[in-house]
This record gives sequence, structure tokens and C-alpha cells, in this order.
Amino acid sequence: MKMVPLEAYLILSIILFGLGVFGMIVRRNLVTILMSAELALNAVNIAFVGADAYLGLADGQIFALFIIALAAVEAAVGLGIIVAIFRLRKVESSDELTDMRG
Amino acid sequence: MMQWLAFLFFGSLAILSALGVVLFSNVVYVILSLLSTLVMVAGVFFVAGAELVGALQLLIYAVAIAVFYILVLTAVPWEKALKKDSHYRVEGVLTFPIVLAFYLEIILVFLLGVSVSPKGEIREYIKSLGNTEVVGSVLFSKYFFAFELVSLVLLVGMIGAVIIGRKEEKTYEDGSP
Repeated sequence: MKMVPLEAYLILSIILFGLGVFGMIVRRNLVTILMSAELALNAVNIAFVGADAYLGLADGQIFALFIIALAAVEAAVGLGIIVAIFRLRKVESSDELTDMRG
Repeated sequence: MMQWLAFLFFGSLAILSALGVVLFSNVVYVILSLLSTLVMVAGVFFVAGAELVGALQLLIYAVAIAVFYILVLTAVPWEKALKKDSHYRVEGVLTFPIVLAFYLEIILVFLLGVSVSPKGEIREYIKSLGNTEVVGSVLFSKYFFAFELVSLVLLVGMIGAVIIGRKEEKTYEDGSP
């Protein structure tokens, strides 16, 4: 059986990570920025699991599980921050958050 | 060969859905695209032979976190993000085939991923635990301290989310600074 090579996993991971970073930079909606971060985390998961399938280990899958758990924490805290920003400032775009600008 | 075809299928659909995440302007479309991307990434995990991580990705990530996003998004009055004065009756009927398509997508990913998984261990899940047993034994021996730390991080994150998201007595503009 022909195995999927490691380079295919890495190329897919690079493309998804690039799209996630692109979304984090380009988009202005706060929820969309958070979901682009989720996309980048999934790209890292693909790289871990692909390297795991190539090396025949199980350690990368454990790190993928940790990343899934930490992404849940990130979603909870990030959405809490966004709800607090919306409640206090009535804005939903990252362009309007200019209080820290020097 | 079959594995390679499945990888190309899952990977190309994941990239298409990720383009949808980046390019859609409506937030609900973005969440649905993210859900599709997560399901396709779970398919990639099945192709790589990581059945436990793929199943947890389908269960926790794809379903629970997407539902969590939609719940928070509808609980908050986003006047700009969501349209206010429309009934969504016709659109509500039209969502049914979309929901059905997502369900079929999950079923397709699971069946296809299990059939092309290299060792096919989830089919003989009862007889020999395979990948799940390996991951569990490494997780609870070599990485046990990290596992406990992740549970601590989950607890701290839960407390922090409750404290950040609770309703304040006064808004920021009323205060002295």
C-alpha cells in the first residue's frame, strides 16, 4: 500500500496555517479573527499527526490532543473577552479598538 | 493509492472550506465553513492513522466548539453582524438541506476515513484496542504531568471566562478614569 508522504501533510499544513494567519491579519470582525486562530491551530495539528504517521510514534497525537484542549480554553476565554468588549464599548471591529494606540 | 486519493479529497476540501472562513463576510457562514474545515481535518487524521485524535476532533472540536460559537453569537445582540428585522421563516426551511448535507459529510468522513486507515484498527476496536491503547499508555505514563497541567489550564480558563463574561454593575465610561 502506498503511504501518503510526509511532504503532503506539511504542504497542507502550511497552506491552512497561511490562510489562518491571513484571516487574522486581514479580517476586521473579532469573531472571525478568533476562528482564523482556530484554523491555524488545526494546521499545526495536521503537521503533528502527519509527522507521527511518518515516524511511527504516538507522541504527536498526544500533543494534538493537548492542542485540542487548549483550543477549547482559547475559544472560551476569547469569546468572553469579545462579549465583554461588545458590552462595554459597543464595537465589533478591531479597527475601532484604538485605546491603546500611543 | 486509495489512501492517497482520500488524502487529496480531504485536503482539497479543507483548503476550500478554509478559503470560505477567510473570505465570507457573514459571521454565520464563517462558522459553517469552519465546521466543514474541522470535519475535513478529522478526515486527514483518519488517513494518517490517528483514529483517536480524529474521533475526538469530530466530537469535541467540530461539533462542540462550533455549536459554542453559534450559541455565543446568538446570545449577544450583534446589531451589525446579524440582521434584525427579518423573520427567517423561508430561510429556516432552506437550512434543512444544509444541515442534512453536514450530517452526510460527517458520516462520509467517518466511513471513508475508517476504510482507508492504514491498519484499520477501529474496525477491530473491541478485540485489540490498537491506536487508542498506544496513545493512552503513552499519555498516562510519559506525559502524565502535562496531562494534569492541561486539566489545570482548563480549570483556570473556565474561571477566567466566567469572570470576564459576567455582567458588570457599571460600564467603563461611567468610571472615574
